[in-house]
Amino acid sequence: MATTSLRPCGDFRTTYKDDQYLLLTKWIGIWTFAGIALLLAAPALFDGYIISLLILIGIYGIAALGLNILVGMTGQISLGHAAFFGFGAFSSAWLNSTTGIPAILTIPMAGVMTTAIGMIFGIPAARIKGLYLAIATLASQFILQDFFARANWFSGGSSGSLADTVSLFGFAFDSDQRYYYLVLFWTIVSLVAVANMKRSRDGRALVAVRDHYLSAEIMGINLTKYRILAFGVSSFFAGLGGALFGHYLGFVSAEGFTILLSIQFLAMIIIGGLGSVMGTMLGAAFIVLLPQVMEALTSSLFGMLPASMAGFAAGQAYIKEMSVGAAIILFLIFEPEGLAHRVKLIRQSWKLYPFSY
Amino acid sequence: MKKTIKTAVAAALISGVSTAALADSVFVGQLVDYTGPTAFVGKTYGPGIKDAVDYVNAHGGIDGTTIEMEQVDYAYKVPDAIATYKRWTSRNNMVAMQGWGTADTEALITFVAKDKIPVWSASYSGHLTDPTGKNPKTEKPAPYNFFYGPSYSDGCRAMVQWAASDAKEKGIENPKFLHTGDNHPYPNAPKEACADYAAELGFEVLPPVVVPMAPGDFKAQCLSIKETGADYAFVGNLGGSVVSLLASCGTVGTDVTYMANIWGGDYKTIEASNAQNYIFPSASPFWGAEAPGMELVNKIYEAGSMDKSEKPTHHYIRGICSAYYMMEAMKWAKANGGITGENIKQGMYATANWVPEGLEGVCVPSTWTPEDHRGTTTVSVNRGSAVDGKAQIEQIDTVELPRRDDWIGY
Amino acid sequence: MMNWALLSQLVVNGLIVGMLYGVVAMCFVLIYKSTQVVNFAQGEFLVLGGWVCLWFVTDMQMPFVLAFLFTLVFMTLFGILMQVVILRPLIGEPIISVIMVTIGLSIFLQSLMNWIFGNSAERFPPVFETESVSIFGLNVETAYILSLVMSFIIMAGFYAFFRFSKYGLAMRATAFNQQVAQSLGISVKQVFAMAWAISAVVSGIAGIVIGLVNSVSSSLAIIGIKVFPAVILGGLDSIIGGVVGGIIIGVLENVAEFVDGQFLNWGNLYTIAPFYVLIVILMIKPYGLFGTKDIERI
Repeated sequence: MATTSLRPCGDFRTTYKDDQYLLLTKWIGIWTFAGIALLLAAPALFDGYIISLLILIGIYGIAALGLNILVGMTGQISLGHAAFFGFGAFSSAWLNSTTGIPAILTIPMAGVMTTAIGMIFGIPAARIKGLYLAIATLASQFILQDFFARANWFSGGSSGSLADTVSLFGFAFDSDQRYYYLVLFWTIVSLVAVANMKRSRDGRALVAVRDHYLSAEIMGINLTKYRILAFGVSSFFAGLGGALFGHYLGFVSAEGFTILLSIQFLAMIIIGGLGSVMGTMLGAAFIVLLPQVMEALTSSLFGMLPASMAGFAAGQAYIKEMSVGAAIILFLIFEPEGLAHRVKLIRQSWKLYPFSY
Repeated sequence: MKKTIKTAVAAALISGVSTAALADSVFVGQLVDYTGPTAFVGKTYGPGIKDAVDYVNAHGGIDGTTIEMEQVDYAYKVPDAIATYKRWTSRNNMVAMQGWGTADTEALITFVAKDKIPVWSASYSGHLTDPTGKNPKTEKPAPYNFFYGPSYSDGCRAMVQWAASDAKEKGIENPKFLHTGDNHPYPNAPKEACADYAAELGFEVLPPVVVPMAPGDFKAQCLSIKETGADYAFVGNLGGSVVSLLASCGTVGTDVTYMANIWGGDYKTIEASNAQNYIFPSASPFWGAEAPGMELVNKIYEAGSMDKSEKPTHHYIRGICSAYYMMEAMKWAKANGGITGENIKQGMYATANWVPEGLEGVCVPSTWTPEDHRGTTTVSVNRGSAVDGKAQIEQIDTVELPRRDDWIGY
Repeated sequence: MMNWALLSQLVVNGLIVGMLYGVVAMCFVLIYKSTQVVNFAQGEFLVLGGWVCLWFVTDMQMPFVLAFLFTLVFMTLFGILMQVVILRPLIGEPIISVIMVTIGLSIFLQSLMNWIFGNSAERFPPVFETESVSIFGLNVETAYILSLVMSFIIMAGFYAFFRFSKYGLAMRATAFNQQVAQSLGISVKQVFAMAWAISAVVSGIAGIVIGLVNSVSSSLAIIGIKVFPAVILGGLDSIIGGVVGGIIIGVLENVAEFVDGQFLNWGNLYTIAPFYVLIVILMIKPYGLFGTKDIERI
């Protein structure tokens, strides 16, 4: 299991208060703030394409954070995350178009609506364990997807529905550069919220449920309550991310939220590292950038091949799809604890040079 | 996203910082489906457009301006299509787009109207034909959407009209009609409109049967169809799904006359499904037909990238027509203020009963007006049967549907 | 008034197709019971079997029976390969990793097969003289009769294998308790490889059968998804339960289609009913109909 609470030796904490800090060492704090400053200045430094990638990383990262709470911290498996993501998108569009509440408010409201749905699906989940839970969430994914395709009143049926542009007091977030700041805002809020949750009482309870639920129950933690809570909180972030996604594209349709997207979310947290907040963002970045990198690689590679091998070039789309599967397999074989673990090892070897191993 | 070789001739620049009027190249985006669920027909239509544009570029371009066309295989994933569209408008200064599927084209209606970028789609959904919202039934006015050929709704209406006369000939007293297809924008497009017209012509319209777009075992659905006693079934899907449907229904013993949409009928589908008396519409002659314009089509084919191991279907020819209408509109635009999206749109209205130069007898004369984006309402009805594994297709009727006002956008 | 003729025909159709689901569910349960691995790539094994057999028949011009046997050999090797390369490094990892690996494998195989074999459906050339026979008034393709016969043979084979053969006993012991089996001298690695090989072969057969009827395409993998309600119904660690679950799902789908077509006209019950039933069953009986209840000891 991924145990993120082990600290390397040489890192002494003498009071409980020390352990509660979100940014655990001075250097982590400095890097964090430098990173935030860089991100704030990003639209000025990078071109539109990079900004759109960053927006996607942020959106998927928020949803993956939710999944990480459920899978990494509470140990429940969920294969239906994309359905909740889609539910957030559809409910934000629906709320906006039927009640006229401005989009900037419907985004968090969609998160709340998705929480309700997540908790409803979480109620049966509290009784089911392990693999059966995974399959039950798989079923919920298909059921919700079918619901999106049929419910004309809510989602526009198979044709989908339009999502308005977000605007705040007349300042419209209609270009990528502007939308980026909205996404950045919600990403930072989500990251702080989840990191905070981890050090709170509820967060510890969730970890206890994951590690040994019998002992947790003996100690007085109400399993059902915390399992449902985990589903609810994870659905909130999924809905939030989904609403941001819907308003970014401007159009929501049921086809965009398939089982493949659920699998991609799982891949993000596994590649990033279960239970790790920073790992989630790394994993989201990896999954978003992987197709782009593969495309660039294969383009240059096939550009160099003689024309007789043109048959391979047709496989570019396939190679991109295969790369996701291959990445999952390779990471799980060679680095099962994810990128966060790898980053930590690199940091340690840097810190302990020349005594690192 | 799949970048292929750009069609720029030496003078073409890579990134578009060119002003529209003085440009020696303009950017056109092309969405194709070569690897997704509609790849069965995508692989024969997409090259049609590309080959036509390549041919024009190689022979002088649009009065000297080359068309830089980027082809992206989005595998019918709507969010990818939208993301690609956004990339094209923000980074490449796209002036026109050759679209593909119903789901993404209908999704982009408001975007292209706002950005003023005309789109020629391979989706012939009736919802794309009302530019001003004249018909109260229209959900979204689509001022910047064009397509060559009869709309899906008109195609289905033509099938139904043929079926009415066929039923009379066969002496069927109370003919029954139903729609089969997946719950998806593309098969759904003509469902309502066609049911209305069928009821108008005296058919008993039965509840539609949902048949998935992916191939599979459809015996259950076929039993339902057989149970209803339908005489005529409209096939809303295409490719592998149609093959499975015909196979399952053949086994079960469902005796209906299948009438397809324009993408569901071509020699490949007929051969693969061993169909008999399969009725389908078309908007161009078939490969090998005698028409003056086929000479140019053959030249384009010879010089083009289409897979030469099998003869092309009629979708290839329709792709060429679609590309040529776009390019002649661009030519008009260049002479009338420069190649911008708005001017190209106006260029589409410039000629009535329009056949692109060199394609006489191939493309049906079409007229687009600012209030009516139905280019043509003439549908050729064909019947195909597989004999010894080879498709034999003959044209049995030409239906000229009236341009009714209550049919715009519907 | 109920249309009994249609209903009975649909039920017969469901039984026949359900046998196939049952066979695939059996393979799934076999892998789970022996190796504690959930194989999300089961559907892809089916597709692979179908494509390889088609390739042998069309490109190598082999007679069908020969192609069939060659495909079986190929699938055996493939199953062993999968186990050695992908699953062995993951022995002992938490269940989430194992699930993700098979999911990743399924994505990888799907795209790979689309690339190698193309993504359009291909028909088998006609293999049987009579295309279909009539059962209870329903025309059933001969290939399905073949599948019925094969399903019985396979089930009987499984039964005999597990009951009477040394290797079957070894597998049962490993499934019961890996440590004890190892300490008794059973090579767990061999058992794992065997389980995967058998599962791959049987899935390949199912894929060939379905491909005969419906033409081979990547959409066959949907059976890999339908197998989940089947094994949940039957219980994840019961082979008989898998078969029963598969048959129930097959019949359920067709009955749902009947209800949908006659009364409701929603259009989607055929595809979605099994999943609703799955959720309901899980709420009532969290371990499925035949699964062993996990008694928790502190």
